[in-house]
Amino acid sequence: MRSGSSAAEARGARGGTEGFLPWFLLLPAVTFILVMYVYPFALSIIRSFTDETGSLSLVNYHKAVSLYGRDILFSIQVAVLGTLISTMLSLALAAYIRLSNSRIARLVNSMSRLGIFLPYVVVAQMMRSFLAPHGLLNVLLANMGIVDIDAPLRLFNIWGLTFGFLWKETPFITFIVLSGLQVIDDTYIEAARSVGAKTRQVVLRILLPMIKPTIAIAVVLTFCTIVSTFTLPYMIVAGTPTTVTVDIAHRVTYFGDYRVASALGVFLYLIVGVMAIYYLRRTVREEVYGY
Amino acid sequence: MGTKWQRVLLEGLLLCLVFFLVFGPISSLVIWSIAIRWYWPHVLPQEIGLAYWKQALGLQRDWAIAAVSIWDAFGTSILVAVISTALVMTMAIPAGYALARFRVPLKALILLLFLMPKAFPQQPIFVNLLPAFTRWGLAGTVPGVILIHILVCLIFGVWITTSAFKAIPQELEEAARSVGATRWCTFWKVLLPLAAPGLLVSTVFVFITSLTEFTGTFFIGLPFVTTLPMLLYSSSGYNMQFASVIAIVLLIPSLLFMVLIQKVFRPEYMGGITG
Repeated sequence: MRSGSSAAEARGARGGTEGFLPWFLLLPAVTFILVMYVYPFALSIIRSFTDETGSLSLVNYHKAVSLYGRDILFSIQVAVLGTLISTMLSLALAAYIRLSNSRIARLVNSMSRLGIFLPYVVVAQMMRSFLAPHGLLNVLLANMGIVDIDAPLRLFNIWGLTFGFLWKETPFITFIVLSGLQVIDDTYIEAARSVGAKTRQVVLRILLPMIKPTIAIAVVLTFCTIVSTFTLPYMIVAGTPTTVTVDIAHRVTYFGDYRVASALGVFLYLIVGVMAIYYLRRTVREEVYGY
Repeated sequence: MGTKWQRVLLEGLLLCLVFFLVFGPISSLVIWSIAIRWYWPHVLPQEIGLAYWKQALGLQRDWAIAAVSIWDAFGTSILVAVISTALVMTMAIPAGYALARFRVPLKALILLLFLMPKAFPQQPIFVNLLPAFTRWGLAGTVPGVILIHILVCLIFGVWITTSAFKAIPQELEEAARSVGATRWCTFWKVLLPLAAPGLLVSTVFVFITSLTEFTGTFFIGLPFVTTLPMLLYSSSGYNMQFASVIAIVLLIPSLLFMVLIQKVFRPEYMGGITG
């Protein structure tokens, strides 16, 4: 156990006992994650590569692609669409709130935050009633004459799903981006303005580039959240195509088929892959090495 | 002068749009929860009343209304959330203290463990735990659901606790140590009281996360453990009013939390972001 105490010695701490103390403190939480997360994570990958006799096989992937290939694409579409639109809206909203000091801006800020902690199950129920063919949105649009009363908008598909994700994720990104913008000193903005920069240039050339890493993390987390969410598509998407998360539930609850469900799970890992690894690397590096 | 009015007009339009987008869906829930009869294409219900609220809260029992009392599910949810939160914080406070104050060997690897469940989808985890849980007799039981809730909440508990401890300047503890206080005494008498507000935020966040957890409970708890989100889901297909009542009950703690912690909540609580 030399390595355990050498770190303590290196910074000149008293005695060797402290070398074990952090391990002891971390033991319950780390053990729990190892047993309840890492073990089933590994299991999901192993299971996806085994057939019913227990031997190595690609049959689950074959089934997953041939039965649910369309849905894998659908999941990617929704995630890309939702992430793109919510990021655009959030950047505009955050820049507006940062630069304007009117009461309206403050009001917009507090309203935009309301949804941050609402659970997806509540958002799903909300969207289910709001976006329904005879729901509040269609009623309002029909009474305003925008929508034909006999042919209301059908939204229990990619559009309604994306709207639900936007509703939940835009406040999240706005919150993160705005926290980044608020750290930037006013002098940067004043300096740019004094040499004749317009608002658009201040935002695009000064403010947003300064917080690029923060924006990147918010975007990545949003993408991963949208790909991973089961509740919203399960409760509001009618029929097919639907998301991979819904397919996994079907595979398990109707067929008790854990192997194809696991193969679909690996597809989810692959979809978030690059982004998830970027998030992990950056956060760990920042915490451990401070850059 | 013209541009100023133009600006105010644009801001006003933005305000209306944000107001409609935020409160449109919320008001849809509220209206449905008090709608007795609501025919298309009327903007508002023809008949409103609190019948579904009364039924859900157990104040009346009318067989004509398809809604049951929510108290059983509410009790299950509170039981699960209280036990999960207590166990999560018992593990998260020592872990957060270690991560904030010690030079932990293999720190990168340990951090990775606590970040992975946020980065990668958790649904395949629940699915792959189900056979093992069935074998151990945990599937469809309250202890099984509590274990799943701990899994979902633990990483948030560890992150928020770590950053709550980090926010306290280390000099205070060093001063206490230099006059002879033990590490245990310093933690208990100096750090813990100072970090208390952050730990409270962590506890409440974990509690609300457990209270509203859906996916894990869906796979591990159904059909025997009915928490409020499960009751909402099962009524959502056939009874819009009842489902809306439950959704509002679940929405209140999250909204209250948002309003109360506006000032102290920091972005690193939601993803280990330090930027």
